[in-house]
Amino acid sequence: MTGTPKHSADDKPPLSDDSPPLAVQATVRLRIVGSAVLVGVLVATVALAGTSLAGAYAASVDTVFALGSLVFGFGLLGWSGAVALGRGIESMQNHLDTGTGWTEPDARRAMVRILGFGLGVMLGTMGFGTFVGSLA
Amino acid sequence: MISTRFVLKRLLLLVPVLVGVASLVFSILHLSPGDPALTIAGERASEEFVRQVEESLGLNDPIWVQYGRFLADAAQFQFGESFIIQRNTTVREVLANKLPVTLELALYGQLIGISLGIPLGILSAVKQDSITDHLTRIGALAGISVPIFWSGPLLILLFAQVLGLLPTSGRISVLYNVEAIRVTGLVTIDTLIAGELDMFVSAVRHMILPASVIGVYSMALISRMMRSSMLEVIRQDYMRTARAKGQGSKITVLKHGFRNAMIPVITVIGIQFGGLLGGAVLTETVFAIGGIGTLLVEAIKVGDYPIVQGTVLTFAFLFTLVNLGVDITYSILDPRIEQ
Repeated sequence: MTGTPKHSADDKPPLSDDSPPLAVQATVRLRIVGSAVLVGVLVATVALAGTSLAGAYAASVDTVFALGSLVFGFGLLGWSGAVALGRGIESMQNHLDTGTGWTEPDARRAMVRILGFGLGVMLGTMGFGTFVGSLA
Repeated sequence: MISTRFVLKRLLLLVPVLVGVASLVFSILHLSPGDPALTIAGERASEEFVRQVEESLGLNDPIWVQYGRFLADAAQFQFGESFIIQRNTTVREVLANKLPVTLELALYGQLIGISLGIPLGILSAVKQDSITDHLTRIGALAGISVPIFWSGPLLILLFAQVLGLLPTSGRISVLYNVEAIRVTGLVTIDTLIAGELDMFVSAVRHMILPASVIGVYSMALISRMMRSSMLEVIRQDYMRTARAKGQGSKITVLKHGFRNAMIPVITVIGIQFGGLLGGAVLTETVFAIGGIGTLLVEAIKVGDYPIVQGTVLTFAFLFTLVNLGVDITYSILDPRIEQ
């Protein structure tokens, strides 16, 4: 884990003249969250479809949604932690000369992916549950 | 001067933290085994009655409806009524009764930790590798290593049983009715406000042992951190310059070194406070003090969802508030941190 940290458009400061326009930054962020949400929806749908076929639908809806909210909560806490403490941790690592390539923007991006996946699972469960409910 | 923008930014960060904690609590409670409706209704209750209980509690709604309702209620600090532990009592009321008990314990514990840890840490750093430094190190290591469930009973044995100096348990002597003078819920403060000196002395005597048990652990960490931080500061050029200009050693350390050495110590104090709130469970159990820690353990055991949710979120809220205080203190000690 000692590679050079990659900084993409959603890195925070410095906002210099060569930083990409806000629209581009928003698109990059949306793509990160959107792809994670889509994966979450897909996983939830597949899991619920599988358990429905196995005949354990009712209990699995609760379990899958709860697992989704667990992942979502973890991601949200991680993201908040990265925003609140990330710069400090980076500076500390530089100060102590113990840099591992960990950066605040990378941590935020990773956490956004995790919370997006959790949100996707929750949304997928809601969608699947509502669909099955309408059939019944 | 602290900028409003800095404080607002920190306050805004409280929102995702609390939503994150709420989601974690909700999911863990729903993933854990046990059916609250069955617990309330009793194992011999009919299926129909269990279903009625589920309906009255909203437990038969889809889980996402329960989640949304929980988040909306949590935003208003409404967690409903306790299912089992104190039926027909709102979680707010239960917390209002129990929280001051734990807060008082944590505050006095922290006070002891800070008031002993900081001077001992400075002393160790200034007299590095002396007998004082070694003794402080041994004391700190013992303080960190000895668990509360062992040091608590030992202190009770020595100070209550053998010497008979201090009471063994409770918050105040059973002779006094502290509820009659309740204002803040903190017994030592309420007795002072009421001007009841006898009661105040009794409350302080009851507080000494549990607060010391917690405080010694806190003191150990604070003194170690203060020592290493002060050692680093003492070697800085500006400290040498101050001494070279003829300033006394004590003044140099206290005037120039202390403030700069405090920054990492403040972090430890902030994290410690959160730990004290959570770690008070053992102390409350050993000294038979009915605080929020024992309430949480009891609520988890019997599956009282609203109490568990309310207590954990209160802990999270207090912890994040303390950390906000830590951030603000940072920016006072070193204004560059705001940038």
